Amino acid sequence: MTHSVDNPLHHPEVEQASFAGYLANFVITVVVMTAALWVVGDKSLSTLGFIGWTTLFAVVAVLVQAYFLLHMNWSKAQVWHTVAMLMFIPLFVVMIGLTAWMFHGLYERTMIAMPPHTMAAPMKRAAPAQAVPPVSQPVPAPKAM
Amino acid sequence: MFVHLQGPWNPVWGRLSLQAIPYHNPILVGTFLFAVVIALAAVGAVLYFRAGPYLWREWLTTVDHKKIGVMYCLLGLVMLFRGFADALMIRTQQAIAVGPHSPGYLGALHGYLTPFHIGQVYTAHGLIMVVFAATPLLVGIMNIIVPLQIGARDMAYPYLNALGFWLTAAAAGLVMLSLFVGNFAHGGWYGFLPYFELPYSPGVGVDYWMWAFQLSAVGTTLGSINLIATIVKMRAPGMTWMRMPIFTWASLSTNLIALTSFPVLMVSLALLGLDRYFGTHFYTAGNGGNLMLYNDLFWVWGHPEVYFLILPAFGMMSEIIPTFSEKTLFGYTTMVVASFAIGGVSWGVWLHHFFTMAAEPSVNSFYSVTTMLVGIPTGVKVFNWIFTMYRGRVRFELPMMWAVLALFLLLVGGMSGMMNAFAANDYMWHNGVFVVAHFHMMVLLIAASIFGAVEYWFPKIFGFKLEQRWGKWFFWFMVLGTAWVFVPMFILGFTGMTRRLDYVPYTQWAPYLRVMLVGMAFYVIALVFFFAHLYVSLRDRVKNRVGADPWGTSRNLEWMTHSPVPAYNFAYIPHVHARDEWAWRKENGVASLANESFEDIHMPRNTGVPVLLGALSFVLCFGLIWRIWWLSAASLALVVLVIIVRSFARNTDEVITAKTVAGVEGAVDDALPSAARG
Repeated sequence: MTHSVDNPLHHPEVEQASFAGYLANFVITVVVMTAALWVVGDKSLSTLGFIGWTTLFAVVAVLVQAYFLLHMNWSKAQVWHTVAMLMFIPLFVVMIGLTAWMFHGLYERTMIAMPPHTMAAPMKRAAPAQAVPPVSQPVPAPKAM
Repeated sequence: MFVHLQGPWNPVWGRLSLQAIPYHNPILVGTFLFAVVIALAAVGAVLYFRAGPYLWREWLTTVDHKKIGVMYCLLGLVMLFRGFADALMIRTQQAIAVGPHSPGYLGALHGYLTPFHIGQVYTAHGLIMVVFAATPLLVGIMNIIVPLQIGARDMAYPYLNALGFWLTAAAAGLVMLSLFVGNFAHGGWYGFLPYFELPYSPGVGVDYWMWAFQLSAVGTTLGSINLIATIVKMRAPGMTWMRMPIFTWASLSTNLIALTSFPVLMVSLALLGLDRYFGTHFYTAGNGGNLMLYNDLFWVWGHPEVYFLILPAFGMMSEIIPTFSEKTLFGYTTMVVASFAIGGVSWGVWLHHFFTMAAEPSVNSFYSVTTMLVGIPTGVKVFNWIFTMYRGRVRFELPMMWAVLALFLLLVGGMSGMMNAFAANDYMWHNGVFVVAHFHMMVLLIAASIFGAVEYWFPKIFGFKLEQRWGKWFFWFMVLGTAWVFVPMFILGFTGMTRRLDYVPYTQWAPYLRVMLVGMAFYVIALVFFFAHLYVSLRDRVKNRVGADPWGTSRNLEWMTHSPVPAYNFAYIPHVHARDEWAWRKENGVASLANESFEDIHMPRNTGVPVLLGALSFVLCFGLIWRIWWLSAASLALVVLVIIVRSFARNTDEVITAKTVAGVEGAVDDALPSAARG
């Protein structure tokens, strides 16, 4: 409290803001997202290539936004933000990684094995030999709220 | 819009109707009358003594970390009482409802609580004890002591501090309100999915549980940000990291856990909220949902949370034991490392709460190993405390008695915890009372540390010691109660009794359940002694007045200012020379607190905004629980508006002039019997 700065525009973290930085962030983000969209729309890549490229674009977008938008850098005003973000990464990896590992085994052991044709991608599935008539049971209209 | 609801709803009152008031249940009517009497007495006293303006000015609107801490502790004590009343009901029910010929009262087939009612009782007991009793007590004590220990004048964000408290209080208020308006969740404090989904729990109980939990999580997260920022940025000059008192280290570790884990809880509850309010399928058994995802997410928070509770308790023991052994703490560095090792490992053990979910053997083995790893840093701590006492001049005053009790309970709880860490064992006693007995040993350890810490730091905050005679009766009856309740519970666990029974089918268990009821009677007597302890202490407060260092052998910075601590904590920010600064000063003959000249002190100004935000959050959640949309929308809009208006406030701090400081400092008599022992 003894070192309060009354004018918020003079706070060190606010002074990091600059028009050029925000513009660079915007342009790079638009480029990366367009590229990702193009990769998805093109459909010519292999599954691995598709996952690899979109992941790469996502990582670039995250880093660019962390640097230009959240101003994560090693300056005195911002170093704690950066350190906090870096410390969060191992927790993120541990939580997602261990959860994925557990559910992977759990699904193998407990889920009913699906017949192979239902596992195929929907767009490639051939029309079923016997057309199932659409379900026409009267569905009760949901009561409001 | 939204989802199909069973039962009536109208736009003005939502689901609220007169049927929501349980006036046909004599237990709840009695509780209501009790609450009304207490409330009338409190309001009457405030009016009679014309204390309203004083309370508003000095307490409700305060941003002083000590007063907020005291209010946290009072909230924790009230909720501890409520949680104990729930425990009493569970134990009584299980002692009566044994075997097919057991009597039934008040509409219950066996015992006096229907399954629906006892379900609410044990859910409320669990949630209250963990989130609304232990957490506020620990946060309150950290709130008071940490700034004093690091030589700061307040927290880094005093306004945020008050906001965190009032959000927690609003959440506790919701739990209490659920007694008299509507009902509470009835499937266990950590929630069961898909049972807690709207089709299976259509009432408002789960919503009460969910929103109270959510609100308290927001409050605790805000508090953790504040404590971390305070410890990192506001230490007095000379207080390097490795000179920080161990309690402050423990607080840092515990709040890092809180900051990283509580958001997971908020997300897991928010997903349940989406399911219940918007009809999504995160935790359903079908439609792409996964009910085990809830268990996973909840315990990703839940296990770090139990270390969030226990680390401050360890920190308190690390402060009390050196003071009453008249020695410096053994193994300071290992203590710091152990605190952070426990905090780190806490993130890799959560699956041991559901070993029986049918994960792969390799997964279960991994979590068994990580769980056992926790025993290493904890063992280091235990040996450090024992070596601190070894060849020390140990004085068994009340704080020390509680600390030693905590040490014993840690051994029992820790050893049984190691047994639980074996996944194979868990297949035998999952959801059994052996596990319940284990974690009650651990939470009673936390409770013992809290009581010890309150005895220890009370004179610092209020300027007089608590008396020892009734306090010792209270202590010994707590020991008796703990032994009589939980030794039989361990035995019942081995015989295969499962938890949360509303009816006990095997009459062979009856003797143990009745012994446990005797234990509860000891706890009730302990409660009476506790009130006597408080009453006699308050009555003799002038006689028990103390100076700056009431124990005579305390070691850290908080004992370097007056008792009670003035609003500004330290007239001069102290310069720190050594690890146990106060002990260092006493040894080097520079312990005098006298100053000749004083300086203006810049402090935050009190504000009513946090109380207002707490009240609005309460109304917001009440509206969401009863689906009174207009009320929720209005209070949410008001919350946003108040925050915007407050962000333009310029006049948020004030100056205590040097003259005022000189007046306060001149009136203090630190020469009071500082060495008075017992």
